[in-house]
Amino acid sequence: MAEVMVPIGPQHPALKEPVNFRIYVEGEKIVRLELDLSYNHRGIEKAAEERNFIRVLPLLERVCGICSHSHATAFVKGIEEIMGLEVPARGQYIRTIIAELERMHSHLLWLGVAAHEIGFNTLLMWTWRDREAVLDTLEEMSGNRVHYNMNEIGGVRLDLSEKQVEAAQQRLPVLEERIAQYVDMVSHQETMLLRFRGVGKLSKEEILKYGTVGPTARASGVDYDVRRDDPYLVYDEVPWNVVTDSSGDVYGRTKVRIGELSESLKIVRHCIENLPGGPIRVTSAPKAAPKGEILSRYEAPRGELAHFIRTNGTDKADRLDIRTPTLANWTSVAKALVNQNLADIPVIVAAIDPCLSCTSRMTVIDTGTMAQGSISWEELVRKCRARYGTEVQP
Amino acid sequence: MTGDPQSLSQRLATWARVKSPWVTVFNSGACNACDIEIIACLMPRFDVERFGILAKGSPRHADILIVTGAVTRKQASRLLRVWEQIPEPKYVIACGACGAGGGVFQGLYHVVGDVGTVIPVDMYVAGCPPRPDEIINAVVACLNLMKEDLAQGGKEWRRKAGDTDRKETTPGTVAKDVRV
Amino acid sequence: MTAQLTMEQVSGALKEYGSAEQVRKNRIRVSTDTQKILSAIKAAQQFLDCDHLILISCTDDTGSFGLTYHLTGPHRTVISLAVAVPRESPQVFSVSDILPPAAIYERQIHDLFGIVFSGHPGLSKLMLNEDWPDGEYPLRKDWKPNKANSYGGAAQGGT
Ligand code: SF4
Repeated sequence: MAEVMVPIGPQHPALKEPVNFRIYVEGEKIVRLELDLSYNHRGIEKAAEERNFIRVLPLLERVCGICSHSHATAFVKGIEEIMGLEVPARGQYIRTIIAELERMHSHLLWLGVAAHEIGFNTLLMWTWRDREAVLDTLEEMSGNRVHYNMNEIGGVRLDLSEKQVEAAQQRLPVLEERIAQYVDMVSHQETMLLRFRGVGKLSKEEILKYGTVGPTARASGVDYDVRRDDPYLVYDEVPWNVVTDSSGDVYGRTKVRIGELSESLKIVRHCIENLPGGPIRVTSAPKAAPKGEILSRYEAPRGELAHFIRTNGTDKADRLDIRTPTLANWTSVAKALVNQNLADIPVIVAAIDPCLSCTSRMTVIDTGTMAQGSISWEELVRKCRARYGTEVQP
Repeated sequence: MTGDPQSLSQRLATWARVKSPWVTVFNSGACNACDIEIIACLMPRFDVERFGILAKGSPRHADILIVTGAVTRKQASRLLRVWEQIPEPKYVIACGACGAGGGVFQGLYHVVGDVGTVIPVDMYVAGCPPRPDEIINAVVACLNLMKEDLAQGGKEWRRKAGDTDRKETTPGTVAKDVRV
Repeated sequence: MTAQLTMEQVSGALKEYGSAEQVRKNRIRVSTDTQKILSAIKAAQQFLDCDHLILISCTDDTGSFGLTYHLTGPHRTVISLAVAVPRESPQVFSVSDILPPAAIYERQIHDLFGIVFSGHPGLSKLMLNEDWPDGEYPLRKDWKPNKANSYGGAAQGGT
C-alpha cells in the first residue's frame, strides 16, 4: 500500500513549541514521523542575554503560559545558588504553594483536554470548572490568573495574608472531594477504559532510551522526579510521594496525573498549615551575580525542566539554555505513534500534555495524487470519535 | 460588503451574525496564556455559548478572528493566509499586550511585530493575559462595531484623515528587517 | 534511586577522557575533547549507568563553542561532559545513535549556533523559519542582524 503523508500543524495554538509533524501512514497505520518546531520560536534565549535579572523574569514567565512559575523559579533558584543567597523559609514555602497550585491547574487542564479528545466532554467541563477554583486561589495570592510574577531574586514579591490563607483553606476540601471523584472515575469509567487502555504504549526501556520525562515517564515505571531526586524549594521537608504506574499507556499517564493532583493538594495543604513566619525575601539582594555556571532543574507539570545558566559577573546572564519537558518528550511521541491508528493521534499526542486544546489545522496530502486539502483538528477528532463510535452530538 | 445594506437578505445576515458570531483563534507566537484564557471563556464559569458565540476550527466559517501573541517570522505568512480565508465582513481582535505592541517579545530576532503589521486589526484587548471577561467584552464590543459599520456602509467611517492602513498600502508584505 | 556517585568513581571510570571536577554536590564535570566525546559517553553509559540525557547545553566562549552533555542515571548524579569546539571549523560527532534524544537537541544547536554534527541523520531546520538565511546563527555572540539581508516572515505559501 502506498504511504500517505499527513502533516499536522503548524497551528496548534496551545503548544509551547508549536510543531508541524509529518506523519507517514500506510492505510490507517502510522509508519514514521518528522518534526518541525519553529512556529513559536521567538528568540527568548538571546533576549535573556540582553536583559538584566529584574527584567528577564517577566520574559521567562512568558516562555509558556501554563508553566510560567516553573520557568521563573528554575531561573531564580539557579541565580540564587550562584550568588549564594539563602532565601527565607517563608519565601520558599510561598513559592512551593504557587508551584503546586500551578501543577494542579495544569493537570486539571490536561485531564479535560484528554477527555475532550476521546469525546468525553462532560469531564472536560467538570475539570475546567474545578480548575477555576485553583485559578481563583492563585489570583487572590498573586493578583493574576496566569502569570503570577511572584518570584524575585532572593524571595517572593508578595506575602500571604491571614485572609488569603483562610480563603485558600476553604477551597481545599471542595477540591479534595472533586479529586477523589476523579480518582474513583478513572478506575471504572467505561469511555476512559476503552479509549485509553493499551493506546500509545511505551515500555520502561523505551522511556529510558528516548529520554522521556515527567508523568509520561512515571507512567511507565520510571521513578524519576526532580522534586525528590534533586530537592529544591521545600520538597525535602514536606511529606509527599512520587506517583508511578506500570502500564505505560495513556491510561497509566491519566492515573499518574490524577494521583499527582492529590499529592499536590497534600503539599499545598501542608505548606499552608505550616507556613513559617518571618521575612519573604532577603533584604538586599545583589544586582550582579559572580562568575559561574549552573544546571538548574525543576519538575514542571510536564516533566523535568532544565535551565543551564552561565553568569559573567554582571547583572545579565551570559547564556541561558532552556530545555523544556515537551522537547524531551517529542522523541518518544514519535516512537509511541508508530504502528498506532491514525485515529489515535490526538489522544497519544495529548497524552504527553502539549495541550492540544484549541483548534489546529492539518493538511492531508495523498502521495499518490499529491492532492492537498486541509482538515481542522476538530474534524480529525470527530473522525476519530466516529471510528470508535463515541461520537456525541457536536 | 456587497448589496444594499437595507435589503432583506443583508439585514437577515447581519441579524444572524450579531446574534451568533463564530470565532476562530489563531496563535501567532503567543505564550499560550492568552489561548488558555480564551478557552476558559468556553467553559462553565464564563460559558460564552449562552451568548451565541461559538468557537470554530476553520477560518472559513468564522466572522471574528482572535489573534493571540506577537507575530513570529514563521507564523506571519500563515496568519495572512488564515486572514484571507475568512469571508467578508471579517473582524480581527488582537488579544493581549503582545498582539497590541509586541509585549515582552517586542524586538526579538524571530518576531516580526504586533498583529497590526501583518493584518488590519479592528480591536485590541489589553492585559497580559486579559481576563476571560475582558475577552468576552471585546467580542461584544466587536459586535456593536459590526452593527455600526453596517449602518455606515463599511469600515471607512472609522478611518481618520491621514490614516494609512499598513496592510492595505503594501499588500502581502510585512516588515522585513530584523529589529533587535 | 541508588547511592550518589563519588568523585573517585567518576574520575576512575572517565580518567582517560579528562580531569573530573566536582562543581556541585550532585554534579561532576569532566572536560574532554571533541575526538573523545563519543567514547566518553559510551563509557559513562557503561560504567556509570548513565541512562538519561538531560540536555546538551551550548555556549559561545569567543574562539570556541562549549558543548556540555549533561547525563544522569539511577544514582541521580549529573555527569557533565564538556568539550570545546573550535569556532573556525565547528564540527563534532553526532551522538544521536547512542543517545536518541540527542538528535533533537543537536538539530536545535545546529540551527542556533551553526555547529555541524557529523553523522546526524537529518540536520534540517528545526527552530528557525524556512526562509531564514543560511550562515546566520542568531545565538552566536557576534551575530548582528544584517540590514541587507531578508530574514523572512513575508513568504507567501508554506504549510
Ligand atoms: S499578551 Fe501576555 S499572556 Fe498574552 S500571549 Fe503575550 S505574553 Fe502571553
